[in-house]
Amino acid sequence: MSSYSITEPSVRQKWIAGILVVGYAILTLIPLIWIIATGFKTPSDAIAYPPKVLFSPSLEGYVNLFTSRTRLAPEDLAALGEPTTWYDRIVRGYDMVITGPSRYGERFMNSVVIGFGSTFLSVFLGTIAAYAFSRFKVPLKDDLLFFILSTRMMPPIAVAIPIFLMYRELGLNDTQLGMILLYTAVNLSLSVWLLKGFIDEIPVEYEEAALIDGYTRFQAFYKVVLPQAATGIASTAIFCLIFAWNEYAFAALLTSGTAQTAPPFIPTIIGAGGKDWPAVAAGATLFLVPIMVFTILLRKHLLRGITFGAVRK
Amino acid sequence: MMSDPVVHRVAAATPPRLAHRIRGLSDRTIAWLFVAPTIFLLLAVNIFPLIWTIRLSLTNFRTNRPNNEVEFVGIENYRRILTDEDTWTSLQATAHFLIWTILLQVLIGFALAYLINKKFRGNDLWTTLIVLPMMLSPAVVGNFWTFLYQPQIGLFNYFVQFLTGADPASFSMIGEVRLAPWSIVIVDTWMWTPFVMLICLAGLRSIPASLYEAAECDRASKWRQFWTITIPMALPFLMLAVLFRGIENFKMFDLVVQLTGGGPGSTTLLTSIDLKREAFEKWRTGYASAYAVILFVTVFGLASIYVKALNKVKDR
Amino acid sequence: MSNFINGLLRLRRGPWEMVATILIACGVVMLMQPFAMVLFTYSFLVTLVGTVMFIIVSHFPE
Repeated sequence: MSSYSITEPSVRQKWIAGILVVGYAILTLIPLIWIIATGFKTPSDAIAYPPKVLFSPSLEGYVNLFTSRTRLAPEDLAALGEPTTWYDRIVRGYDMVITGPSRYGERFMNSVVIGFGSTFLSVFLGTIAAYAFSRFKVPLKDDLLFFILSTRMMPPIAVAIPIFLMYRELGLNDTQLGMILLYTAVNLSLSVWLLKGFIDEIPVEYEEAALIDGYTRFQAFYKVVLPQAATGIASTAIFCLIFAWNEYAFAALLTSGTAQTAPPFIPTIIGAGGKDWPAVAAGATLFLVPIMVFTILLRKHLLRGITFGAVRK
Repeated sequence: MMSDPVVHRVAAATPPRLAHRIRGLSDRTIAWLFVAPTIFLLLAVNIFPLIWTIRLSLTNFRTNRPNNEVEFVGIENYRRILTDEDTWTSLQATAHFLIWTILLQVLIGFALAYLINKKFRGNDLWTTLIVLPMMLSPAVVGNFWTFLYQPQIGLFNYFVQFLTGADPASFSMIGEVRLAPWSIVIVDTWMWTPFVMLICLAGLRSIPASLYEAAECDRASKWRQFWTITIPMALPFLMLAVLFRGIENFKMFDLVVQLTGGGPGSTTLLTSIDLKREAFEKWRTGYASAYAVILFVTVFGLASIYVKALNKVKDR
Repeated sequence: MSNFINGLLRLRRGPWEMVATILIACGVVMLMQPFAMVLFTYSFLVTLVGTVMFIIVSHFPE
């Protein structure tokens, strides 16, 4: 905005707009800040009323998140001797001892493996399909594209019934491979749709020139189109990853033990006397903060994916 | 970046006919090679299950009784669902959720986009911060909202006490029949208003400044400009946002199942949650499949309208 | 209006898509309205007809 124009808002308007937007932003961020803060509270601080804004931080929530514990009689505790580590000491304060790691680590790793696995597959398949749709005459192109997009709109619960039966037959129920394939299929629609938009914007002349220079189609795709589409591919990958990371319905219905991801697991965390909110909040924090950081760092590239390609550059 | 000037010049000098011939025969093969895996995967994970669902919906199959004889019952399942009072109630609960979330999100989202479009300093950072809730896992966040909604200790109830002086222990947003439908509207609005805002922002930014300049020359008031330029030009984008949120909330599951689980009673029993109970708790697979087909067709119909609206916006 | 009817008669895409869109919208409203059970019962049929029609007419010429 270098040149002055009569349609440029006045300084006063900008101030009012700025204050209103910042006000809304702060209001909308309170629940997220509260999740992070609750993770560092002791259970009694977490349920204090009025809610405690200032509190002395504690790592109890995180210790409870990563360990399973058991209560011991005072004489057994005394027989154990002094606690050796800081987390032992926290747990001893509640007359308990650590009996081993909790499930959270495994669930988190499942999320990582399934998230990255399905992202890689859906971006790979999506890129080549989008290239074909963008550059070649594919019969029934519009119908295929619509079909691909509409698969993403399907209600997960409705799709889950036959997939549940099918996976049971194939032995894919509750396996990482099954979840990767499923998330890949769901993400493919978005990735084809978005990437087609990105590849459409690369001038076709570049490839034609490369072809004249003696490149094969494959080489032209590989050496000319791919580097140009890199930003688009990266932001598509972020979207696929976020979807797979956040997905709940399929995970809750199709996994129970070995392949369960974090979203269905976190709500089931309970403590000794009812819901252990600091541990839940700690689990949620570790799970949500990476996405928050991603969003803030990559904000320039995310817009188009959020709006389903409705927005050009 | 591809900035080789020679390549560029050669490209410019190549007659399109020649280029076409060079692309040649094997392109067809490559096209199929590239599209086939995607189509195959989508057939296996989407279309095959869909056809299976349609077949199951015409039977009385129950997953928990695999040894029962499976009978073909025709459209009996459909007839039962479409005359069932409880299903109808569940769809009305969905309607309440849909209407209010869309209304609130469009109003707040458009207002925010309008303000952000005033281009005050640092607006892109604040936009990103506003967008944060919609990037997060609805199930995890929804679960935590039950903590905020706790009577007596919850932050939300404290807020209400702060604003109105009501006793925070006297009401429970997710525990009361009167309030529960609103508790899910509030959380969904909190989470998804940014989406509507982004679409509206894209719409507002697509309006050429020259239109406003012309209106200024004609001495049209700001109010008039808003109604004759801003709203009509942003309308296709608003339609897109409404359709997209409509489809998403029609099949809403994760957020609400974690917040209220459909209760109390069946006040927040949205269709997806109702369907999940039929399919995975009562195990009436045939019946649930018919229910699923009804939802499929509805979403598919809405999706066709959505794609039409999307193409209209993209052509702009 | 006469343009619209003309388009319908000559099997043009635009007006027919409009008809299909209205049918789908009617079906969705009928599905979720709280007023009459009859409308609820026949909503699925209306949506189905609208959706199938949409798929067919999107292949009509512009």
